[in-house]
Amino acid sequence: MSEVLEINAPGIDAGAIVEEIRATVERKRAEGAYADPRVARAERSNLANLQNDDDFFDFYMSCLRQAFVVDINDFAIIERRARFGKLLVSLKKTIWGLLKFYTYRLWTQQNQINGLLLSALESAEQKHRKRVQELEKRIAALESERH
Amino acid sequence: MGKAQHIAFVVPRLADGSVVGGAETLLRNLAERAAGHGRRVTVLTTCATSHYTWANELPPGRRAVGDIEVEFFPVDGDRNIETFLAIQDRISAGAKVSADDEQAWLCNSVNSRALCAHLAEAGDQYDVIVTGPYLFGLVYHAAKVRPHKTLLVPCLHDEPFAQLKAFREMFSAVRGCMFNTEPERRLAERLYGPPPAGQVAAVVGMGLDDFTVDASAFAARHGISSPYLVYSGRREPLKGTPILIDYLEAFRARNDVDLKLVLTGSGEFPLPPSLVDHIIDVGFVSATEKLEAMAGALAFCHPSVNESLGIVLLEAWLAGTPGIVHAKGEVLRYQCESSNGGLWFKTYPEFEEAVLLLLNNPDAHHALGQAGREYVLREYSWVSVEKRLIDSLDRAGETAQGQDG
Repeated sequence: MSEVLEINAPGIDAGAIVEEIRATVERKRAEGAYADPRVARAERSNLANLQNDDDFFDFYMSCLRQAFVVDINDFAIIERRARFGKLLVSLKKTIWGLLKFYTYRLWTQQNQINGLLLSALESAEQKHRKRVQELEKRIAALESERH
Repeated sequence: MGKAQHIAFVVPRLADGSVVGGAETLLRNLAERAAGHGRRVTVLTTCATSHYTWANELPPGRRAVGDIEVEFFPVDGDRNIETFLAIQDRISAGAKVSADDEQAWLCNSVNSRALCAHLAEAGDQYDVIVTGPYLFGLVYHAAKVRPHKTLLVPCLHDEPFAQLKAFREMFSAVRGCMFNTEPERRLAERLYGPPPAGQVAAVVGMGLDDFTVDASAFAARHGISSPYLVYSGRREPLKGTPILIDYLEAFRARNDVDLKLVLTGSGEFPLPPSLVDHIIDVGFVSATEKLEAMAGALAFCHPSVNESLGIVLLEAWLAGTPGIVHAKGEVLRYQCESSNGGLWFKTYPEFEEAVLLLLNNPDAHHALGQAGREYVLREYSWVSVEKRLIDSLDRAGETAQGQDG
């Protein structure tokens, strides 16, 4: 999954290693390495720890953006067993065709709902963030007036 | 005079056999070490062994447990759990509660009127009363009986409970505090302000004895042939168990590495079906087996953000195993930074990279583990801890005797 970080072991500096890890994560994030629904799912338990962390929220939203669409496209159907290989591939293709026929509409609707929910969440978050910023400014102004 | 000759240790439960817990173990160890220095030590505790039921399972009365004298008192049976939980839920959610509600919560927490009555009637015999952790009604009420000779071992966490007015008053009224780490001392100062002049505010911690174990024994015994992370302690959301489970699941799905997770300790936790064969839950095991599990691990992973010491992380370091902790856990992160014995993560990608680094770079793995081990031997040897403990007790004893007249 990742290249090995080069660490000079003697006189080890954990803080420097963590900084290197963060730089690697930042670069790989830009390359889309964590645009993965499994990452978004893994972070669900971590949300409470980082609820006041804007960076984390942005990261989590970007994971969700990549993850909300259920892939309903065709995919390569293969068979590793040599015996009856062609027959099994044909059988699987037939089954997939039938499944697709019955589930395509449901998944399309689910994708639409997921997309709408994500948009609503993003717009609510932006609205509240802006509102909080405005309130913080007002509080700061009132406090400076008082002093 | 001046020395604290007779010291009472007031704890909600006595750490003994299967009754374990970080704070209980800490206080028992401190009591034994003070006794080892020739001080007379009496442990005052309850008859309860379970931190879920708090039922009086042990007979009351005074008897020797190991080398120390222990007096057991019954837990009050008239607590209203519904009231306690209702207020606790509000505090947990960050809601402001009134002073009356704070008192109702503390009065319906775990308490022992018999123990507090003993302190009131016979407390003159003690030069110093050491008590903790801060979160129990019993500790709060015991600290109120003779605050001028009470030393708190608060095991303080940055959590909504710590912000209650009642605890602010308790911290400013007592003779002093013995903290486990410097971040915990700083947290107390942030929450309650600088300590009043003359108050003892020492960082004491807990010492660990060095040990040697076979690092391959645990894996051989349990048929583990791939790298594993280990976590020891209670499994519950507050300890970060869900993060550990979710991260392991994502790591296994995204990487071609057969990474396992070994859990020792107590507490039931639902596992996703995909991980049933990859989490080795050995439950409560002997100290030797726990240390063997730590010694053979790729890393000791402690994702809790609410720790005041993290004894298990120190044990893992003593076993030469690096730590991986949550960046938001101030104490554990401070220990990793101070020791260079562990890495910290804020998000899953950072966790993944840290694990891959330890897997792919044996030199870094070894160097981190050794740095952690050297840190524990330096900072948490019993020689260092005992010196800090005895100094704090004597300082508290001097002033308490002065105030007694």
